[in-house]
Amino acid sequence: MTTTHAVVAPLAVAFITAVATLAGRAQPSVRRTASTLGVFAYAAAVAYLDYAVLTGDGSVLAYQVGGWVAPYGISFVADPLSAFFLTLTALVAVPSLLFALRDLDGYGDQFFHPLYAFLLVGVTGGFLTGDLFNLFVWFEVTLLASYALVAFRSTGKETLAATRYLVVNLVGSALMLVSIGGLYGVTGTLNIADVARRVADPAAYNVDPVPVLGLALLLISVFALKAGLVPLHWWVPSVYDAAPPAAAALLSGVVKKVGVYAILRLSFTVLQGSAIPVPVRLFGLSTPLDVVGVVLLVMAAGSVLLGGLTAVDRPSLAGTFAYSSIGQLGFIVVPLGIAAIEPSVRTLALTAALAYALAHGLAKALLFLVSGTISDATGTTRLSDIGGLAGRSPLLAGAFLVGVLSLVGVPPLVGFFAKFAVFRVAATSSLAALAVVIVGALLTIAYATRTWNRVFWGARTPAVADADVDRYLLACCLGLALVVVAAGVGYDPVLQFTQHAANAATPAGRDAYIAGVFGGESA
Amino acid sequence: MTEVVLSVGIGMLFAIGTFLVLRRDLVRVIFGVIVLSQATNVYLITMGGIQGVAPVVGGHGGHGETAVTDPLVQALVLTAVVIGLATTAFALVLAYRVYEEHGTIDLDRLQGVER
Repeated sequence: MTTTHAVVAPLAVAFITAVATLAGRAQPSVRRTASTLGVFAYAAAVAYLDYAVLTGDGSVLAYQVGGWVAPYGISFVADPLSAFFLTLTALVAVPSLLFALRDLDGYGDQFFHPLYAFLLVGVTGGFLTGDLFNLFVWFEVTLLASYALVAFRSTGKETLAATRYLVVNLVGSALMLVSIGGLYGVTGTLNIADVARRVADPAAYNVDPVPVLGLALLLISVFALKAGLVPLHWWVPSVYDAAPPAAAALLSGVVKKVGVYAILRLSFTVLQGSAIPVPVRLFGLSTPLDVVGVVLLVMAAGSVLLGGLTAVDRPSLAGTFAYSSIGQLGFIVVPLGIAAIEPSVRTLALTAALAYALAHGLAKALLFLVSGTISDATGTTRLSDIGGLAGRSPLLAGAFLVGVLSLVGVPPLVGFFAKFAVFRVAATSSLAALAVVIVGALLTIAYATRTWNRVFWGARTPAVADADVDRYLLACCLGLALVVVAAGVGYDPVLQFTQHAANAATPAGRDAYIAGVFGGESA
Repeated sequence: MTEVVLSVGIGMLFAIGTFLVLRRDLVRVIFGVIVLSQATNVYLITMGGIQGVAPVVGGHGGHGETAVTDPLVQALVLTAVVIGLATTAFALVLAYRVYEEHGTIDLDRLQGVER
């Protein structure tokens, strides 16, 4: 067991789980046991990978598939950045699956478990791969599993949402192939580290640098579509509303972050340090990273404002959280854009973005689970039909409160530290960025307060009076709420991990990534 | 000459695919997506360069310095074709489910159903 095997451990565990749950799907006890064991084993594998990445002598571990030397084979690369996102995945995946065990019991959950495991496989592969075309393949694995999960309940609403999601993403995938193929045609390689090396020194590798920026921007737009940034966000609400709560938690908490991670990789690993001339000289843009940063900032500002404004008057909980997801994603990408434009605050801004990604992933997953619990108890998440839940179930109210307060950014929850970091970065950058995040924060407070008042206070509606909150589902919510509290109270190790991950995207981290891929021992 | 024919062909495929994706009928939309992904595949083939001979090492190894085409793009297209098959199959089944649920695959009417 060398350390490089740790890189593919989470992937292997998730895949074995998927096959096992598929094979044992006829027996409820078998598939449920396999799925539960699988998700815990996945968390253990991620912990092992974290240990290997954070304690090893080199923090970048590369696994060359089939022993092919990079850049000729497919490399799987684990650096602190991918380890960070995998940790978030494991933290969200465990409670969501435990929730689904009860929530979908008797709902024909035969195929839920394999689909859920394949979703994990796709996400894990996306975070670990060091190859552009392979990234496309993992995106497709993730998407195919998520189409089926969105259509899972298969009534009118779900089939329609899944159809929309499918068509949008298939067009997106075609564009992704166009840009990846173009990058291959231009640079002559698909290995991310190798592309980074070649665009940094186009003359030495006989690369025509002119098309690279355009292709990279096309690729970033596809990633923005997967992440659901404005103006590519329109598929998000119906999809999160349609998916079962456990799947929505994973889709919003983790799958969106694959898009963010891919943007990060492309911007800071590939384009950073590139000597590509920028044809358009607007606003003093001089490097490709500046262009990417401006594009990201515009999209992020749109997301923060549109997501927040729309979330304020949604008729249902699921709708509110879906639009809130769009807005919160903007909060992750605002510091990303600033990091791309201003090298002086790069590490700080990236730390803020990653901390926010973690805080949002945990809080939003928690809120989707709470929303699912409410839906299970009352049969609806329409705000007009629910009221006075706090008296029926104080614990559920507590879990919900932890989630929304973390979104709003109240200490000592993890959301506070993340939001504070974003504010600090925005303040050092520009007045416009600061204004956007302040307005976004106010909107967050508005819709958080509104949902709290409508759902938990006021007179009990008939639906709530007959409600019977399931203890097991409640326990899953409380478990995740405890994680949100713990990540905030014990923020110091979280911060250290985040900073470590943010360093992976600095010039030194980029060089280490390239060195790790090419100098790593082949397995 | 090959370049001209190929680029016109790819352009036509992209145009037809885009046109179909924008139709009202769900099955036509799915056909549009299929055409788009085929257009992408043909485009991928051209990315490896279209000069040179087939990348086959015949006889006793290669002979001299003959340029061969890049075989990698063909592997990429193979992968993309397989993925496209799976997603297309799923899309068609989903369209059938939409028809079962809503009794129509006219997207305008479907949007009306939703609200």
